[in-house]
Parts: sequence; structure tokens; C-alpha cells
Amino acid sequence: MQVFYAILFGVVLGGIYAGLYYMNHKTPVPKGCENLKADCEGCKVTSCEMHPSHNIKETNHD
Amino acid sequence: MELVSMFIAAVLINNIVLTKFLGMCPFLGVSKKMSSAVGMGVAVIFVIFGASLISYALYYLVLVPLHLEYMQLITFILVIASFVQFVEMVIKKYSPSLYKALGVYLPLITTNCTVLYVAQQNITEQYSLIETIVNSIAVPAGFLMVLVIFAAIRERLESADIPECFKGNPIALVCAATMALAFSAFAGLV
Repeated sequence: MQVFYAILFGVVLGGIYAGLYYMNHKTPVPKGCENLKADCEGCKVTSCEMHPSHNIKETNHD
Repeated sequence: MELVSMFIAAVLINNIVLTKFLGMCPFLGVSKKMSSAVGMGVAVIFVIFGASLISYALYYLVLVPLHLEYMQLITFILVIASFVQFVEMVIKKYSPSLYKALGVYLPLITTNCTVLYVAQQNITEQYSLIETIVNSIAVPAGFLMVLVIFAAIRERLESADIPECFKGNPIALVCAATMALAFSAFAGLV
């Protein structure tokens, strides 16, 4: 029974997160805030979405 | 009086950045401008306070009665992530000016390990509700204070004549180490 509660609790929390994530992305961004960017220079964590390496556009070298 | 001591200890003596080396990513990444540092610090206070209280309530009202204490880590991670999404959505909808000031820092806070540390600390140290509230304000207040001091130092470093090889993060890390040494002098204050 305890395992069932654990799974149920995990699913509920995951569901709440998924729902809030969806609602947040559906909420329109206020006017004038479309291109907000943090002044983050970037540390060495390249997986972070704020890392400047993600803003480098791919260039064709041919 | 004990709560005051606890607050001072969390801000000055056991500062989260300078003694535990947590939250280093925003400490180095968002400390170049004073305005960014203040925005980030205020957003961190708000998120840590809210997420810690929800985590505390969930732990004692749900996890303990159901004997699911081993799920505290996954619970706290999901609570923090959900809370950040909720706060961002509410700010977007009802306060565009606040969103302009803080909105950009909210996704960054989800990955800030300080938030998870405070939520865990409140449980492992077996704090009461009032102690949890004080700790959840004091720890991010210490983070904000150090971030603002560090941003002021970095702004002055911009115009300082320093060797080429030290420019950028190297000199920032030297300054952070010096700050940590200076803050160690507060040990024994309370």
C-alpha cells in the first residue's frame, strides 16, 4: 500500500508541475517584455539555457 | 533572541555562498551589474521563502503521516520547479512591471541549489515553523547581501588596471576568496 501511495504522490506532483508548465507557457508575455534576457555572462555549465553558447547562430562554412 | 541569533548566523557567519559555496552560478553569472544583482537577489528571497514553506508543509502533513520520508528529495525538487512556474505565470498575468524586473531571473532560480538546500535544511535540522520562516528569509538575505557587495566590487574592477590574464572570472574568483576570508572573521559573533 505504501508503494501505491508513493507512486500516486509522485504522479500528482508531476502532474501539477506539468499543468503549471503548460499554463505558464500559454500565458502571454506582457508587452515590452518579449525579448528580456538576463545579463548572465555564463559560467562553465553549458547545459544551462542562459549560457551564451546557445545564442551563437549556426554558420555555413561552405 | 534565539531567532535573532539564528538570523545573524545565517546571514553573516554561515553565509550560503561564502561558507557552503552554493549558488555559485548566479553569484558569478549575474553579478556584473548592480541592477541585475538586486533583481536576482530579491527573486531568490521570494522563491526560497515560498518554496520552503510549501515543502515544509508537504513534508509534515503528507510525507510523514504516509511514511514516505524517503521521497523528500524528489518532492522538494518538484515543489520548487512548480512554484517557480506558478510565480512566473502569476507575475506575467497581473504585474507586467514586476515581470520586467524579475521575470528573467525566475527560470534561473529553478536550478539554484540554494533553494533546495534551504528546503532540506529546514527538515534535517528539525526546525519549528517559526524557525523555518526565519531561516527561509535569512539565508536568501545573506545571498542578496553578498551578491550586491560582489556586484559593487565587479563594477569597480571594470575600470581597474589589472593584468590581462586576470580579467573576467579569474579576478572575480580571487575577490570571492578574499570575501570568504573576510566573512570568516564573523565566526564567534553569536
